[in-house]
Parts: sequence; C-alpha cells; structure tokens
Amino acid sequence: MAVRPILLYPDPILKQVAIQVEAVDEPTVAVIQDLVDTMLDSGHSVGVAAPQIGDLIRVVVVDVSKSKLGKDNNHGLLEMVNPEIIEKSGSKMMREGCMSIPDYTGNVTRAEHIVVEFTDRAGQLRVIEASGFESVAIQHELDHLDGMLFLDRVSSLKTDLYRRKSK
Amino acid sequence: MNHFALTIVGRDRAGIVSQVTKILFDLGCNIADSSCSILGGQFAMILILGHPELTDRDSFGEAFKPLEDSDLSVSLRVLKPGGEIRSNIFGDICMISVYGSDKPGIVYRVAQVLGEKNINITDLNTKLVGSDERPVYVMVIEAVLPENVEEEDVDGWLTPIRNDLQVDITVRTIPTVEL
Repeated sequence: MAVRPILLYPDPILKQVAIQVEAVDEPTVAVIQDLVDTMLDSGHSVGVAAPQIGDLIRVVVVDVSKSKLGKDNNHGLLEMVNPEIIEKSGSKMMREGCMSIPDYTGNVTRAEHIVVEFTDRAGQLRVIEASGFESVAIQHELDHLDGMLFLDRVSSLKTDLYRRKSK
Repeated sequence: MNHFALTIVGRDRAGIVSQVTKILFDLGCNIADSSCSILGGQFAMILILGHPELTDRDSFGEAFKPLEDSDLSVSLRVLKPGGEIRSNIFGDICMISVYGSDKPGIVYRVAQVLGEKNINITDLNTKLVGSDERPVYVMVIEAVLPENVEEEDVDGWLTPIRNDLQVDITVRTIPTVEL
C-alpha cells in the first residue's frame, strides 16, 4: 500500500505500450492497491493507469462515484486488469485534463457508451456496460495503456487547449 | 525576454509559413503562441514572439522586407511587459453555434448580449456557406461563463435574437474533468 508519485510528461514511460498481465498475482494486486491509494490521495482524481505510476502493465483503476458528473451512473470502484473495449457507440465531448499533463485541458470526443471486458482483483473475468462520464474516464485511462495522451486526441490547439479551471 | 505581436496577411499560396518562420528563426525569435488560418482567399498569421535582445520595431531592421516585397502585409506590435501572459479565465466553457440565412447583424447582436452579461469570448469563427442563391451564415463561439451564469441563462438571453433574425442558436457547456 503506497501513494506513488504521478509521472509527468515528457517521461518516456507515458508514451510506451504497457504489457499484458499474465496472472493477477501478488505483485499485480500490489500495483492495483497503489493505484487506488494514489487516486484517493489526489482528492479529485477519478482514475489512474499503471504507466502513470511507472508500472508498464495493463492495469487501471476508475471510480467516478464521488464526482458530480458520475455519481448517478457508475459501477463504483473498478479495478481493471487487461481491460479491453469490445463495443463502442455514440459520442460525447468533454474537456479533459490529465494528472500527467498539469494545467492544461483539451476537448476530446469519445464514445458515449462502451462495453468493456476485464479481469478484476479477484481474477474474475467481468464484462460491464458503461456510459457517460464513466465511459469517458475508462477510455481516457485505457489510452494510457497504449501510450496515448489526450493531446493525441485534441483536434486544434487554438480552441481546445485551455488552462484548467482550478487545481 | 521582450515580446511582440506579429501579424501577417496576404493572398494564400504554399510557402508563406516557411518564408515567415525562416526569418523568425534566423532572427532568434521564439514563437510563444500562434494562430494561422485561411480567411477568404487570404492567409492570416498572428504570432506572439519573444526575443532576448530586440526591443522595438526598429531593432528588427529590414528583416521583414522580403515578406512585404512578396506582397504580404506585416505589422509588429511591441508588447508591454506581461502582455504575453494569458490571464487565467475561470469558469465553465460554453460553445454557442449560430446559423441561418445570411443577414446583417448576426455577429454584433450575439456579441452584444455576451458583452453585456460579462461573458468572455475566447474564440470566434464565422463562415459563409451554402449556395450562392441560399447563403447560410455560420458562427461558432467559445466563451467562458462567469460564476452564477448557466447554459440555460445564456440560451434565454439569446432567444430575442432567434426571433428577430430568424437564426438557429444552440448553447452547450463542455464539462471540464480531470482524469
């Protein structure tokens, strides 16, 4: 259990593709716990991906249940190992910010509804349907597993990149 | 570091950006912020420049003469200290789309309402689209809503314009999220 520092761009780890987890063993569970601790410690974060704390494995945690935009539509704390989006539909634009790129936000359009398959902390295969803010948050975190940042998805700096409201 | 605002406008052709930025590179200018776009048949560049030594218009000498010789209009504004720093604008970001058959006053009437309500426009684009017989005017505004102003308020304030000018207007806020 530990709160870990969030890597900031241009740390090269953030642009690498994370590797598949073979088994949800003790070291994997330790990473999951560190991700949860790090997310909770930040106070406002709704998700963290393992590469953001320096572990290049396909693990993310997401929890939008405490945020204004996600509190009415969520699956609580999601601890996702080897997550894979198997269906996408609709589109939704949000102005995203990322703990790895402080002080900037950008408009990103993502799928409004997704079906995502993953292995949970207990090693169980799960399939969930997410929509709205939770869907956006999951897609943002999954991008980190492929070395993608929201900067790779904004269309125009002029209209899209703005200083964030507040820290 | 001293800062300048440089604007360059001229008939669009390939190679303008390269011609301008070579001069800036050779001068040792930093491009701190910029926006360049085609407007009508013109290519327009607006750049905020930084330079450690150059202090005023004269210190650039004849650097921009080749641009003027190739029929580009060049204007340089010397910024006061701090003029290069964007002030932090706090608030929800709001997109306003306005469109309808072309008629005078669309931009002014919408901007007037926003100005009166102290809503800061951070980006504004207009285009004339549609056919020659049925021209359609399109405007997209990005604005920052002050505290206590909601999307519905803006929508309501713009309703008289909908009726007077027969234009369609949609207002939508874009939620800002940290992930």
